Amino acid sequence: MATTDKEVNELIKREYEHGFVTEIEADTFEPGLNEDIIARLSAIKNEPEWMLEWRLKAYRRWLEMEEPDWAHVGYPKIDYNSISYYSAPKRKEDMPQSLDEVDPELLKTYEKLGIPLHEREKLAGVAVDAVFDSVSVATTFKEPLAKAGVIFCSISEAIRDYPELVQKYLGTVVPHGDNFFAGLNSAVFSDGTFVYVPKGVRCPMELSTYFRINAANTGQFERTLIIADEGSYVSYLEGCTAPMRDENQLHAAVVELVALDDAQIKYSTVQNWYPGDEEGKGGIYNFVTKRGACIGKNSKISWTQVETGSAVTWKYPSCVLRGENSVGEFYSVALTHNYQQADTGTKMIHLGKNTRSTIISKGISAGKSSNAYRGLVKFGPGAEGARNFTQCDSLLIGDRCGAHTFPYIESKNKSAIVEHEATTSKVSDEQMFLCRQRGIDPEQAVSMIVNGFCKEVFKELPMEFAVEAGKLLEVSLEGSVG
Amino acid sequence: MLSIKNLHASVEGKEILKGINLEIKAGEVHAIMGPNGSGKSTLSQVLAGNEAFEVTEGEVTLNGENLLDLETEERAREGIFLAFQYPVEIPGVSNLQFLRTAVNAMRKHHGEEEMNAAEFMKLAREVSKQVDLDPSFLKRGVNEGFSGGEKKRNEILQALLLQPKLAILDETDSGLDIDALKVVSDGVNALRSEDRAILMVTHYQRLLNHIVPDYVHVLAGGKIIKSGGRELALELEEKGYGWLGIKDEETADSAAN
Amino acid sequence: MKPAPTLSTAFLESAGQSLPKPLLDLRKQRGTALVDMPLPTRKTENWKYSSKYLKLTEDMASPLPSQGQGMTGQDVPGYRIVFLNGVIQPEASEFPQAAGIQVTSFRDLDDEEAEALAGQLDSTLDDKAVQLARLNAARFEDGLLIRLKPDAVLDQPLFVIHEVTADASGSAFPRIFVDAGRHSQATLVEEYRSSGSEPVMVNTVAEFNLADGANITNVRLTMEGDNVQHIGATGVRQQRNARFESHTVGFGGPLRRHDLQVRLEGEGGECKLNGVVVTQGKQHFDNHTTIEHVAAHCNSEETYRNIAADQSHAVFNGRIHIHQDAQNSNADMNNKNLLLSNGAEIDTKPELEIYADDVKCAHGATIGQLDEVSLFYLVSRGIARREANVLLTMAFINELVEQIPLETVRETAHTRLNQFFDQTFQEV
Repeated sequence: MATTDKEVNELIKREYEHGFVTEIEADTFEPGLNEDIIARLSAIKNEPEWMLEWRLKAYRRWLEMEEPDWAHVGYPKIDYNSISYYSAPKRKEDMPQSLDEVDPELLKTYEKLGIPLHEREKLAGVAVDAVFDSVSVATTFKEPLAKAGVIFCSISEAIRDYPELVQKYLGTVVPHGDNFFAGLNSAVFSDGTFVYVPKGVRCPMELSTYFRINAANTGQFERTLIIADEGSYVSYLEGCTAPMRDENQLHAAVVELVALDDAQIKYSTVQNWYPGDEEGKGGIYNFVTKRGACIGKNSKISWTQVETGSAVTWKYPSCVLRGENSVGEFYSVALTHNYQQADTGTKMIHLGKNTRSTIISKGISAGKSSNAYRGLVKFGPGAEGARNFTQCDSLLIGDRCGAHTFPYIESKNKSAIVEHEATTSKVSDEQMFLCRQRGIDPEQAVSMIVNGFCKEVFKELPMEFAVEAGKLLEVSLEGSVG
Repeated sequence: MLSIKNLHASVEGKEILKGINLEIKAGEVHAIMGPNGSGKSTLSQVLAGNEAFEVTEGEVTLNGENLLDLETEERAREGIFLAFQYPVEIPGVSNLQFLRTAVNAMRKHHGEEEMNAAEFMKLAREVSKQVDLDPSFLKRGVNEGFSGGEKKRNEILQALLLQPKLAILDETDSGLDIDALKVVSDGVNALRSEDRAILMVTHYQRLLNHIVPDYVHVLAGGKIIKSGGRELALELEEKGYGWLGIKDEETADSAAN
Repeated sequence: MKPAPTLSTAFLESAGQSLPKPLLDLRKQRGTALVDMPLPTRKTENWKYSSKYLKLTEDMASPLPSQGQGMTGQDVPGYRIVFLNGVIQPEASEFPQAAGIQVTSFRDLDDEEAEALAGQLDSTLDDKAVQLARLNAARFEDGLLIRLKPDAVLDQPLFVIHEVTADASGSAFPRIFVDAGRHSQATLVEEYRSSGSEPVMVNTVAEFNLADGANITNVRLTMEGDNVQHIGATGVRQQRNARFESHTVGFGGPLRRHDLQVRLEGEGGECKLNGVVVTQGKQHFDNHTTIEHVAAHCNSEETYRNIAADQSHAVFNGRIHIHQDAQNSNADMNNKNLLLSNGAEIDTKPELEIYADDVKCAHGATIGQLDEVSLFYLVSRGIARREANVLLTMAFINELVEQIPLETVRETAHTRLNQFFDQTFQEV
């Protein structure tokens, strides 16, 4: 045991590689939150009146809400008036009309992050919406997508150009009063991504948003809305990074997915926000509400997440399974190291007949971190013949970390069946001995075993991202042996 | 090749090996027999470098180099291979990935170029046929859900791929039916060569009908109490461990039944 | 936000003065500490599913009479202690007389003994977690103290009959404290019964302090009527190599809550917790268990089964907490649930909280209905559908009932289970 821990811990000593700051002129609001700030935010984005009203309604509701304290995480109280709610790169024109007009400094930033915004190169098959601090700076492949009828743009554009779609769906999956952070987001969200896939269309390429927090003392509050109309299919990926700063930064996003009859949405996340340093200083507070509504019959929503970043994570991508025979899936790898804290999991709300859900959660705790799975599986009275299978496994590396499992299972329908299994284990001495006896380095052995532990989740990720996720895990684990 | 002098080893403070002396030369096949609890498996684990066992006295050299100073993986790269009695499962790590990592670690150590996935796949398929293991096993997790016999064949497969200098087979015959025993023995016999030594650890002499040893040693109470040629094994089989004044619980039990 | 409701002060006024002074003092002090105690609401995490069943009306604050016509437990053979509305009835009881074993009513303790006991009461319970059961320490009128000297062995099981007579509204606060010395051994059966039909509360606490190598088996039968709200807590602390075994069989009621908290404080400790719950009609039952692995090399094994019929509601919350230094812990928790009707509800929450890395922990939970294929198989062999239902339902819990180490208790359980089956599975 002592040996294994040592080996695993020696494994990991690489710096966070996305920690640089981009020097760019920015328009940034002074810190503070009130109705004037919200009005200014709305005005700067040229929003219609209804949007401002929607925001103010959310704000008033938020003022009455309390910050949740039930999660297995601890962090100093956030002063919501010390945060700036808007920061955007300064631009001469209103919006860049093409990629050529995007500030080269920004293009370089994304280049450095491995997300080229040219419509060629490595991610040639993936359309990207790049969100930098509070605004979307570029969206690629708009034209080929438009040909297929797919709308892929920033949510700000969608509010102006497709108000009827936005008004119809925004806030229907995550309403204003849903929870404290979602309420805050509804009042102050600055940008995000909008996707609409029309009836019967299989989106011709992977869509992706790349989030970057750059400015100091700002919060990032993006809002994503994806609508898959009848019989359509879309696969969407998001990635996130932030510079290394000593102060904590707040990221409170809301993602809403709507799947109509026979539609499928596959949503994958590789979350690598700055986790703070070895002493636990700095890092992102990632307080995110993600929910999908399977409204239509035979619809399917699938969440896959690989979470290695953030100082504190509070996140439960969920599915409301309303349509008959609809399917919800949640595949998650959450790795915490040093002083990171994660309280993450999912909710599967079964309302319709013969709805099915699968939850596979793999938690890996190293260093002095705390990693909790929290999940709800609920069968309403109408969930005739519904099924859930849940498996949550925890792997501990080192004896100063914590791994927790808090599953809530509620059933009101006798024909519904739920099966839940959980295990906690460590990288065993026997496994290490076998690998080493075959001449394999301890570091390599650990990373191989950890990757094996996560395999069921990685195989759900789109190819390019599966490789990236595997590497990310290796980097995040560095120094966890010792 | 391998020289063991006055080896003492203990686990959790309890002494198991109490002064083992053994010389093995290249090209030789040695069998160590003994009743349960005699220290057979401990000897193989100690040679492979399992840190659960503490060497308290004595020395072990491999081609003149002090083996006890080396880490487990360094011993493996110097050519020590242990076929485990109870191979552990590593869920999610494919056999193929595992084997290629091991083979490449070995190649790198010897200054050879690493094998790419395609080359290795070809090699692994060939060798898996040799031990009658369906190539589909290469894609499964290491030993994950393998039957006892499949695990043992997987061990021999690894020996054939890694081409060790000294192969230690720990109760490789246990749990095998006669057909599987034949396959495994053929695999081991294929390993026999002038520059390689084999050390078999076994309770019964059955395996020795298929892999004929040059020398047989009887281990009891943590010491080698008798050595001889292969006829010693036959004599043991006929007369039982009691013949040497050793109490063998298992033999006694089966006699009682 | 409106302020959370608090416990009415009427519940904090204790009446009977028949206890030795140190215990009276303790009671008073605990009462003062509970002023303004918030009552659990839906937002109280460990009462999330059950707070709506809690109905403490003002008239339930008064004590129930400590003497009267009870069933007196004469049907129970061997050692028995009869509590009537929380007060021991010596004439109905059969106290064990054996070397090294003290079995005494709190009322009969001298000041010195009472002083020592006062320092120990509630020491096995986690204050925050048990909440309402803390009320017991402010209101108990009597209690049973069992002290086992080192190596003492109680030769027969001791039955403790807790009876409440609900001829008027009120509450009873029985309590048991067991101090088991090194390598002592005993089996204690608690049986909860009631007569009468007025709304009453039973608020009961049992505590077990196990020294090195002590071996205690506790059987708990909750069988009060549909007018009795039952709030119970059992606290266990185990030192080196101590072993604790618990078998609970619970039948639902308007509110049934049992908190079982085990702390494995010495290496080599072991506990085994089995539980069966059946609910029907509009009944409720909520079992909350916590196993704290504080020391290394301890084993815990927990198996709970719930069956909910009609519009009833069964809740299980099992928590395993492995502390940082509790290496080589083994913990296994299993909870299976059977929903017999669409109006019924089952909620389960098997939690693991782990701070040590070299551990083997697993939990499993399922909720489902009777297997249609098995039912069909039985019926196709000519077995009546009702009978087939009973057979399969019984099969679901039988393994646990059979493990109860006392024949008489198994019989009692079977009798009540048969009543449950009769009411639940009507002849078709």
